Amino acid sequence: MDTASPVVLNLSSALPEVVLFLSGLVLLVVGALREGEGAKGLSPFAVLVLLVVAAMILGGGQTAMVSLGGHFIFDGFAAFTKVVILVAAALSLLLARDYLIDEKVDRFEFPLLVLFAALGMCMMVSANSFIALYMGLELQSLAIYVLAAFQRDTLRSSEAGLKYFVLGSLASGMLLYGCSLVYGFTGTLRFDTLAAGFAIQGERGIDLQIGALVGLTFVAAGLAFKMAAVPFHMWTPDVYEGAPTPVTAFMASAPKVAAIALTLRVLMQPFGEWTDEWRQIVVFISVASMILGAFAAIGQTNFKRLMAYSGIGHVGYALIGLAAGTAGGIYGVLIYLVIYVAMTLGTFACIMMMRRGGRYVETIGDLSGLSTRQPMMALALAVFMFSLAGIPPLAGFFGKLYVFMAAVDAGLVPLAVIGVVTSVVGAYYYLRIVKVMYFDEPTEAFDGPNGLGLRLVAAGTAVFTVAFILLPGPFLNAAQNAAAALMTTP
Amino acid sequence: MAEIWALVVIVFYILVLVVPLLLGVAYLTYAERKVLGAMQLRQGPMTVGPYGLLQPIADGLKLFMKETVVPSGSNKFVFVLAPMLTFILALIGWAVIPFGPGLVLADINVGVLYLLAVSSLGVYGIIMAGWASNSRYAFLGALRSSAQMVSYEISIGLIIINVLLTAGSLNLTTIVESQRGLWYFIPHFPMFVIFFVSVLAETNRHPFDLPEDEATLVTGFNVEYSSMGFALFFLGEYANMILMSAICSVLFLGGWLPPFGIVPFTWIPGPIWLILKICFFLFAFIWARATLPRYRYDQLMRLGWKVFLPLSLFWVVLTAGVLVAFDLVPR
Amino acid sequence: MNAVQLLLFYILALVCTASAVMVIASRNPVHSVLYLILAFFNAAGLFVLIGAEFLAMVLVVVYVGAVAVLFLFVVMMLDINFVEMREGFLQYLPVGALVGIILLVELMLVGGSWALADRTEVAAAPATVVMVEPAAPVAVPPEGGETAVVARRVRAEEVTNTQMLGAVLYTEYFYLFQAAGAILLVAIVGAITLTLRERPATKRQDIGRQVRRRPFESVELRKVKPRAGI
Repeated sequence: MDTASPVVLNLSSALPEVVLFLSGLVLLVVGALREGEGAKGLSPFAVLVLLVVAAMILGGGQTAMVSLGGHFIFDGFAAFTKVVILVAAALSLLLARDYLIDEKVDRFEFPLLVLFAALGMCMMVSANSFIALYMGLELQSLAIYVLAAFQRDTLRSSEAGLKYFVLGSLASGMLLYGCSLVYGFTGTLRFDTLAAGFAIQGERGIDLQIGALVGLTFVAAGLAFKMAAVPFHMWTPDVYEGAPTPVTAFMASAPKVAAIALTLRVLMQPFGEWTDEWRQIVVFISVASMILGAFAAIGQTNFKRLMAYSGIGHVGYALIGLAAGTAGGIYGVLIYLVIYVAMTLGTFACIMMMRRGGRYVETIGDLSGLSTRQPMMALALAVFMFSLAGIPPLAGFFGKLYVFMAAVDAGLVPLAVIGVVTSVVGAYYYLRIVKVMYFDEPTEAFDGPNGLGLRLVAAGTAVFTVAFILLPGPFLNAAQNAAAALMTTP
Repeated sequence: MAEIWALVVIVFYILVLVVPLLLGVAYLTYAERKVLGAMQLRQGPMTVGPYGLLQPIADGLKLFMKETVVPSGSNKFVFVLAPMLTFILALIGWAVIPFGPGLVLADINVGVLYLLAVSSLGVYGIIMAGWASNSRYAFLGALRSSAQMVSYEISIGLIIINVLLTAGSLNLTTIVESQRGLWYFIPHFPMFVIFFVSVLAETNRHPFDLPEDEATLVTGFNVEYSSMGFALFFLGEYANMILMSAICSVLFLGGWLPPFGIVPFTWIPGPIWLILKICFFLFAFIWARATLPRYRYDQLMRLGWKVFLPLSLFWVVLTAGVLVAFDLVPR
Repeated sequence: MNAVQLLLFYILALVCTASAVMVIASRNPVHSVLYLILAFFNAAGLFVLIGAEFLAMVLVVVYVGAVAVLFLFVVMMLDINFVEMREGFLQYLPVGALVGIILLVELMLVGGSWALADRTEVAAAPATVVMVEPAAPVAVPPEGGETAVVARRVRAEEVTNTQMLGAVLYTEYFYLFQAAGAILLVAIVGAITLTLRERPATKRQDIGRQVRRRPFESVELRKVKPRAGI
């Protein structure tokens, strides 16, 4: 049989994924064999695996390479986003430990599902075809659906899981419909082939097929759901509120990075030729997300719900960079994402410190007068709030600065203006929390002492947020390389 | 004109296959009663005809003459459809069974998959009957049976994969031909045993006849059927037994091949060998019924999922590994 | 295609479409599932007609033999009240119809432009770009060539489509195959995580222990005196 030309199954570029997958299997077998011991020992193992894999990527080369039958791509962009995703997943696991024990859901499936979700996200950012994209997305989503319903005995968590699952399936359906349209009109699912073909098409002055455009719109809709951007954000507040808090922290950080990175890749690489066609979609999503994020969060009393709306708004800001469609814009998005992840995880660490009488509380009113009782926690939370609002010396300011600059450079001044205006509106509710902590009457103190993981994450991210201004050098370089890698088709 | 002629020929072939098969089914019931009788030191049917040889015909006539009762609360269409489906499915599987080189109705490339598909459809007759009867006993029987059949189908599928790997084809004729040197029951002996046990479960025969557990379900899914409906289920069950025996023979006992390719054995024509092998399996069916007590339902599920599934999966890996390691992969 | 095949095609296609319509039109959900099975079955027949016998059989084994059985299971056991379900149906009809019409119009637009592109543009301008996935890394299009990348050629008549599928599934699509495996694994883990409840009170059968047990461990022989008891 001389059917298949030799296809090199070069696993070396997918080594991080292979390691993640195999450790997931080990974790599963070990966890299933030791009955009744929960996640003890396995959670640290998963954290270790995630960090080791991240280190592997950092240490490895970053030459662009398409492998595994053309469905997998490894390049500087993938490397950068993968490190962010893996670290975010590791930090979420660190956060989760005490919560899971307190709520009596300390089971070994938790680190396992986080590991597989991280694997799915890595596959997403390394996708080089629509099938690979879908596979990664589905692996990630499936794991997170289950995580959202992990506290299966509480109504809120089950409801969150179910809601996320039903709406997520719908989004997956839209995404698949879009993929099939693109395939039908172009005859290929692979990103590099699409990019090459579209480039020729552009040279010869042929317009993008309308069917492919419709397909792209559906794909964008599916991705917008995954990153919780506005027309497809409805699930976010309920799911964020209902899901167990560490899961919410995870959902708000790593998957968002993965979804946005994937969107960047889809729009910049295969559809890079048609920037003008998709820009209006991105601009609309971005503006709508920023506005909704700014205004809808004002009335919220539940901190997790507030963070959901805040997250929607931040996706809007990040997408400004994509709308610019330049290397500078991508660079801005990447920096924004890293800073956003740090701030979000830090905030959620603080939310998980809000424990009173052994029960977790989550309203903003519970924070009143925190500065007198727990000054360190209040300080950390204040840092995160100022940073989320984008107050100058902190990291959040720089994130916004880079995307706004890119937008101005690309001639999208109105977009940047809307961004600034909504930041000002958004600052209101972030600063309200600071006001509640520092100027309101103190109430009962929270339970102490907090676990090591929580304190570590809160302190680490707070330091990162404050010190970003001092040593951004290597970090900015890495982001720059990643953005450059995305701009050049392999 | 040529097409019509081809159609006539095909119909003729089908009749040549089906008429002896139906006779075989009728006399399988007779054989079962005789064998059971012998095993229990009784004589079995003796009154109708010499040695009771006309008993199956008498039974058939009796069922045919009885009143057809369709329960008033039942779903009439599905109720009538279910026994027909069971019976037809037991017959159409024969289309791909080779009786000798070239002696097959449809020599298709995916014969094994076709058989798997047909046997996986068997569950519908039962579940439709159970639901359409609108009776608790029937429904419980149907649920039990469909869960059981779906569970055992998985290990059957995995075991068949072993045979496919060794033969390198999904075509049943090729599979038989590739056993010329060595029948597959020798290298795959554990799978051969598991396959036969799974077939017992798949056909709802003893010791896995929980769907029609007389003691708890008063014969289960077919409790509401009488007359021809019941007869069709009955015939379907026995035709299925013969079909499954034929599949076992083809996959593991070399189909139409004689045990040794030397003179006294090669005098006997291939189809006769196949029939002898089928008879051996049918005897084993009856033997199991006479010997073994019924499984409990949880034991049945445990056996399927926790014993057979891992074992057959392991054997697939082993087979593939051995084939690759010793460079035995068929081209 | 000869006359018999054509006839078969029309029968299969007709029954397939009709049963697909009946899936959503029939009042009884169990009937819906049965129609769904019929539709699958006819689709499998259509596959056979185009020579994709492997897909046909897999469709029957997987969808009819396994998936639809579970559907049927669930639907039969749910015992849905049809009248109640239909009550709210009409109030959503306008919205649903609107969405449906919009989708239909879009599809027609798309289809129309496609057909147009096929007939006019290709004929007029030889500049359409045909994109075909390469076996090797993306080839640079030949100068002025119509086709960007040339397809790998296979002598189809020599290989059965089962072999062909196997040959690409485990090489070119190896990564996706493994990914699908990972997804299914997560699905299993998820299902077990969310539903398995350990009931400490249940008595489990430990067959190993049963087999290991010896008569002297559980049976004690005593000499019983008449009229005295133990």
